[in-house]
Amino acid sequence: MITAALLGNPNVGKTTLFNYLTGSNQYVGNWPGVTVEKKEGYIDNNIKIVDLPGIYALDTYSNEEKVSKEFLEKGNVDVIINIVDASTLDRNLYLTLQLKQFNKPIILVLNMMDVAKSKGIKIDFQKLESKLGVKVIPISASKGIGLEDVKKLLKSGNFYSLSNENDYHYIEDEKKNYRFIEEVLAEAIVKEKEEGMTIGDRIDSIVLNKFLAYPLFLLILYVIFKLTFTWVGQPLSDLMDEYVIGGVVSLLESLLENSSPWFKSLIIDGIVGGVGSVIVFLPVVMTLFLGISFLEDSGYMARAAFIMDRIMRRIGLSGKAFIPFIIGFGCSVPGIMSARTLESEKDRKLTALLVPLMSCNARLPVYALFASVFFPGKESFVTFSLYLLGIAVAIFIGILFKNTIFRKGEEPFIIELPQYKMPEFKSLMRNTWEKGKGFLKKAGTIIFSMSVIVWLLSNFNFNGMVGMEDSFLAHIGGVISPIFKPMGYGTWQSSVALLTGLMAKEVVVSTMGVVYGADLQNILLQYFTPIAAYSYLVFVLLYTPCVSVIAVMRKEFGSKMMAFSVVYQLILAWIASFLVYNLCSLILG
Amino acid sequence: MSLYDLKPGQQGYIQSVKGDDKLAKRLLALGCIEGTPVKVKLVAPLGDPIVISLRGFDLAIRKRDAKNILLKEVKEA
Repeated sequence: MITAALLGNPNVGKTTLFNYLTGSNQYVGNWPGVTVEKKEGYIDNNIKIVDLPGIYALDTYSNEEKVSKEFLEKGNVDVIINIVDASTLDRNLYLTLQLKQFNKPIILVLNMMDVAKSKGIKIDFQKLESKLGVKVIPISASKGIGLEDVKKLLKSGNFYSLSNENDYHYIEDEKKNYRFIEEVLAEAIVKEKEEGMTIGDRIDSIVLNKFLAYPLFLLILYVIFKLTFTWVGQPLSDLMDEYVIGGVVSLLESLLENSSPWFKSLIIDGIVGGVGSVIVFLPVVMTLFLGISFLEDSGYMARAAFIMDRIMRRIGLSGKAFIPFIIGFGCSVPGIMSARTLESEKDRKLTALLVPLMSCNARLPVYALFASVFFPGKESFVTFSLYLLGIAVAIFIGILFKNTIFRKGEEPFIIELPQYKMPEFKSLMRNTWEKGKGFLKKAGTIIFSMSVIVWLLSNFNFNGMVGMEDSFLAHIGGVISPIFKPMGYGTWQSSVALLTGLMAKEVVVSTMGVVYGADLQNILLQYFTPIAAYSYLVFVLLYTPCVSVIAVMRKEFGSKMMAFSVVYQLILAWIASFLVYNLCSLILG
Repeated sequence: MSLYDLKPGQQGYIQSVKGDDKLAKRLLALGCIEGTPVKVKLVAPLGDPIVISLRGFDLAIRKRDAKNILLKEVKEA
């Protein structure tokens, strides 16, 4: 088995290369001790490729750098694949020099040859090879050019012959290293024209324009929202509900005609009712993730961080922390994990505490259900208001925490604005499908088992099968329901749904699907007033997110922080929901 | 004279980087070393941070940190 370490700066096409080389033969995990994602993949089961995090150097004190360095030292690496951006070679080669100190053969993959060409950069590959003592392969990953050559070389094993006789060795002096790179490049590169305004500059002059930046930013979010709820996601979900779930129910009803009532109830009310009520939201969830992946891949995310920095500073964070927030609209778990890239422990913690206030995908099914029942015709507006409320509360809590438990000086803010690029269709689909798969997996595991448990608890007590009003669930709900009385939804059913919703927020819907039965929409109208329904949604928005978030919080920051986040969000949700219910009741009478 | 003093479109040559050790080390690794030409590209809508351009790529930094990137000469645009 050959082990190859894949390294490079951020935004140089590392992921594209990795995906090409390993196909679907990949495994995602975590580096031990630190919370940096570890990705491994295989070519033909005998070449292992380890995708190391995107970094600029090995010695500027980040976890990503520590992980990479340690792996290069102890991971039995046979060869280093160092992918670089051919259009900004000097900065990219700085890392290459640092990699040379490990005395391993290096394959230098020059990506973005097309961009370099358009910038008028001509590269003498042989010169580069001999000067640096590495093997050079030019590619254009986004156009699929040259990728096969990388694979071929790895398979042939010819990189072993690469000499390490090159006499330049990295030293602890940035200036000398850059001088060396400049000397090499002076011989190996010809720049035929001076750079004028690039297309990226033109886009930036609009996207980052003083007057247009924020309207455009809101427009982009609005379009993603519209796609999700009006144009694509929701209509597909409706179709799925009507034809797929409806079809399955009628099919099962005819199949189970002669089986015992309890079994029929378990299958139709319990499993289909529970899992089905969640699974119909798959198109909505995938559309939103598609939108977020598009932003991530296009290069816009860093721009958003740039224009939001000033605002984020008000709540004690940097613009970089804005990225976890946007990802948090998809799911809090990757949102919290992406806080890893922030500069200080305090930034990471504060961000992790606020990210769950961004309304994640899992909460959508709850909004969608309630909005369609209680606010027909105003679904988008109601849903959008909840997203805004989440943001407003995050700002408020951010300022509160900044001035109390998170007092600190400002951290430096530095972020590269990568070149814009058209996201590749394949990688978008891949990303979106991965997320969709996660959602389906959740539906098949947590939501499935919760549906069965809820069905059992709602149909039984110690005396056997009983009516729902006498069930275990009604008793459990009855115990906690007084907590929710002041907000207008003190029924045992709604209380139980909040409790089971801790497993995953979609479970709020699936639980209701089980306890209220098939005619959920009409039944809900009997149990909630519109104001109570909205204040219920406010609670769902703000209360402790699911077990996955609690688990990731513990993994990243320890038990104390986990406990704090659980408790503070419960209190926050209660207060906010209480205020909404009582103020709205007062005003609207 | 520091990067802070440049207007958008103006270019200068770096003298040295001072201030916060961690940030200085990062800027050095990114190639902010003596003699490197650097340009202020644009200023954020709210006046801070700014986008600077060096060695063919763009970097966003805060004005406060731009004060720590000292320049030796300025090329008039």
